[in-house]
Amino acid sequence: MSEIQGNGLSTKWIGIVAVLFGILLLANHGNEFLKQLVVAPGSVAELGVPADCRADELEEEGLSLLECELMVSNIQITLASSPDWFRSALLALSFGGILFALLSIAVGMSFVNRTSPIGKLAGVCFAGLVAIDLLIFIAATNTGPLLRAQYLWSTLLWFFVHLSLLSAVFSVSKQPNLDSD
Amino acid sequence: MAKPLPKAKVLVHWLVAASVFFLFVSSWWMLSLPLPSENFTYRQLPFQLHKNVGITVLVMVVAMIAMRIIAKRQQPQSPLTRLERLADLDHLLTYFLLIACCVSGYLSSSYSGWETTLWWLIDLPNWSAENDDLNILFSDIHLWTCWALLAIVALHIGAALYHGFRNDEVIDKMFRL
Repeated sequence: MSEIQGNGLSTKWIGIVAVLFGILLLANHGNEFLKQLVVAPGSVAELGVPADCRADELEEEGLSLLECELMVSNIQITLASSPDWFRSALLALSFGGILFALLSIAVGMSFVNRTSPIGKLAGVCFAGLVAIDLLIFIAATNTGPLLRAQYLWSTLLWFFVHLSLLSAVFSVSKQPNLDSD
Repeated sequence: MAKPLPKAKVLVHWLVAASVFFLFVSSWWMLSLPLPSENFTYRQLPFQLHKNVGITVLVMVVAMIAMRIIAKRQQPQSPLTRLERLADLDHLLTYFLLIACCVSGYLSSSYSGWETTLWWLIDLPNWSAENDDLNILFSDIHLWTCWALLAIVALHIGAALYHGFRNDEVIDKMFRL
């Protein structure tokens, strides 16, 4: 079995960070995928049906009548700010994000234990995640201002997290024997 | 190199971790969806998925506890350091809060009158007819145990990072599949 050489502690930390952020990213993309499935164009909120706010439900949820009505407006905002292509693009990107997040967890675990030559795979994984962040950023930039505001900052944060991991992997792979027996 | 943990234990740990974070993130979002009614069904899929993942987490936590008990029995008894006792307490509290969070969520759903079909395959029984008071009570317990769980998870991650900085073998074992 091959050992990843170089600074053992730094490769271990790349692994720990990759797994921790991989778990969070999995939750993030999983939720985004769910969100795009649920908030579909042509659904009832877009048809202008008024909110159904029963007093007992409001009490149970601790909501005001206005908040209940704005929950429907929230869906209308998402749909009104989304270009036609946005939902399918985000479904594809978040599905890709789920797969790459799983890969980053696997890659991170290998880095912690330094047991296999995974430099190239790690590079592909984090480059893929950077590409997905960039594509989501570009997609969000082309939506209306109300939706754009929800996406840009969090996507930028993920972009820099993944760029840092990609740089770290690139840096340790330049040290001798990362990808060789 | 430290003695490796059973693969099943490591796998279940990470499955529970991923599920718990997904449950937090998705529940914050799904509670912003319009209240359910005949017209508005936006909450149907996210709530059903939330319950499915939550019940699966409960099963996995029970399996984790069983594995922990078996492992403890097989270990030679030796006095624990203060940090080891704290780590044990953290684990017990995490298991307790995971179970309390999942069970209270299921009971709240049960008393709300909504049906639960596990992974769209198995109809789970409701404990009684709809009861608003009990629904609100268990919903509050669900809320507060889950907030407490988030706090203990943060502590757990902090402790894992502590072991990472010490570069000891504790963290390596949890990352070895």
